[in-house]
Amino acid sequence: MIDRMKPGERLAAVLMGQKPDRVPVIPFILGFAAKIVGVPIGDLYTDPKKSFRAQLLCAEMYGYDSSPMYGYASFGAWEFGGKVGFPYEPGQSAPYVIEEPVKSEEDVDKLEVPDPKTAGSIPIMMEIARQCYAIGLPAVFQCGEVLTTAANIAGPERLLVWMKRKPELVHKLNKKIEEFFVACAEYFVSTFGADKCMAFGGGPVESNKLISPNQFGEFVYPYMLRVHRKVLEMGVQIILEHPCADQNKNLPWYRKLREECGWKGKYIWVFGPETPLENQISLFGDHDVIMGNVDPPSFQFKSFEEILLLCKDNIERGMKNPSGYILGVGCEMPPNAIPINVYAMIKASREYGSYI
Amino acid sequence: MGKKEILEGLRDATVEGDVDKVVSFAKKAIAEGIDAYEAIMEGCAAGMNIVSEKYEKGEMFVPEILCSAEAMYAAIGVLKPYLKAERVETPKKIVLGVVRGDIHDIGKNLVKIMMEAAGFQVIDLGRDVPNEQFVEAVMREQADICGMSALMTTSMIAMPEIISELKKKAPKTITMVGGGPLSEELARAYGADGYAKDAAAAVRVAKELLIKRGGA
Repeated sequence: MIDRMKPGERLAAVLMGQKPDRVPVIPFILGFAAKIVGVPIGDLYTDPKKSFRAQLLCAEMYGYDSSPMYGYASFGAWEFGGKVGFPYEPGQSAPYVIEEPVKSEEDVDKLEVPDPKTAGSIPIMMEIARQCYAIGLPAVFQCGEVLTTAANIAGPERLLVWMKRKPELVHKLNKKIEEFFVACAEYFVSTFGADKCMAFGGGPVESNKLISPNQFGEFVYPYMLRVHRKVLEMGVQIILEHPCADQNKNLPWYRKLREECGWKGKYIWVFGPETPLENQISLFGDHDVIMGNVDPPSFQFKSFEEILLLCKDNIERGMKNPSGYILGVGCEMPPNAIPINVYAMIKASREYGSYI
Repeated sequence: MGKKEILEGLRDATVEGDVDKVVSFAKKAIAEGIDAYEAIMEGCAAGMNIVSEKYEKGEMFVPEILCSAEAMYAAIGVLKPYLKAERVETPKKIVLGVVRGDIHDIGKNLVKIMMEAAGFQVIDLGRDVPNEQFVEAVMREQADICGMSALMTTSMIAMPEIISELKKKAPKTITMVGGGPLSEELARAYGADGYAKDAAAAVRVAKELLIKRGGA
């Protein structure tokens, strides 16, 4: 089929509950864009101008529907006073923690909630958001997840042991992170206006590979609920929520979150490939958009034809969501994905995702 | 307190992750003249086996495993000086590491815990390990198994290169891969001998592969 809508129009239609010409495609591309434009992946995370340009041009070249944004899974360490490294060495693909700001129980008390205007990567996130805003794209800011951020601040093993032995320390740390995320949201909303912003949350430490659903209920849910409520109260309408990896046992909590937030706004759910689309549709389909979750590693080693079939299957199942569907991947597109496999997503949308 | 109660106490305290209790049972084991090796294997390691089973069934999660591991290592700290040399079998060696470009080592650390609890000698190369270090360590240690872990979809591409080198330089060494983005299908595509979806499965797969190789 020939595209009858532009990327921005297509996505806007889905978010407004209307039918676009075809299924929008958001391949969750960050580091991959560096390869396309010929800059080091590290530049995507350190240079807002290069990052914005690379992401924009990559989207334009392929014709997919996402706009530039900034964020990474190791978020929090730098912002709270630690050190991160950037992916400039062979094989590296995303920022990583070099030094955690919390190394002892005493450090939790000493930890100060940073000013979002100057904290770590926030100025870079803000600059990319400014460039997006200037051309009518959403200004995206990070608002979660709290426990993944806590793990980046205190180190995952230390934090997970504290959850059993010193739970009060984890709550103390989480409270500070909650405060920081709310301050970040206020900063972006006051800069651009709530209707121009989109919040993004996600992280792997919440996954059931690591923690139980009960631990999610104790150490994640209350903080997440308060942050989301505040973000929605500020007037932000769109939250892109990425429960990373296997979070099937946490699904009731995510449903509860939406119920307790009164189903305000519109969520775009990006679960890992472990969570069947049908389960997502039954929980959120009456209100929210579901983004497809094609298996990301497959893009590195499967053939174009195989990826096309994976996308076709995802589209056929995802289009059953009454509140909208976007073809996507279950986590970040691997920077070493075979370039033609990214095009398979666009081709699949055109061939199998038509609403006309 | 009899031998049975002490070994059960070591086992249960390991499962509970209770460091004080496990150390107390370890001291009792020594006081009662229980063989230290038996106390480790029938007490602590038996406890870690239960932990492993519970993790596989989704009844225990990583915070609990880490606490159990703390308890196990505390008990071993008490018992180790009393190990009799002739009772210590030559353990199977596994070289373990997170591949180059990846610093996420919690999965690898869990595998290390489970492997040690199962009696393997683990040579832990740490995280962000260059390909050649895996190969060098396997050859130097004459390791039975080389285990490679990756969380990132980008870093796991180092695995087939390491496996390929090992097939040339240490063809008898069993290669195993694991980590978030890996799968049975991908492990096969990479030429690995084995894939484990988690730390508990890693021990089982390692033992199966050793039997298959004829060296268990």
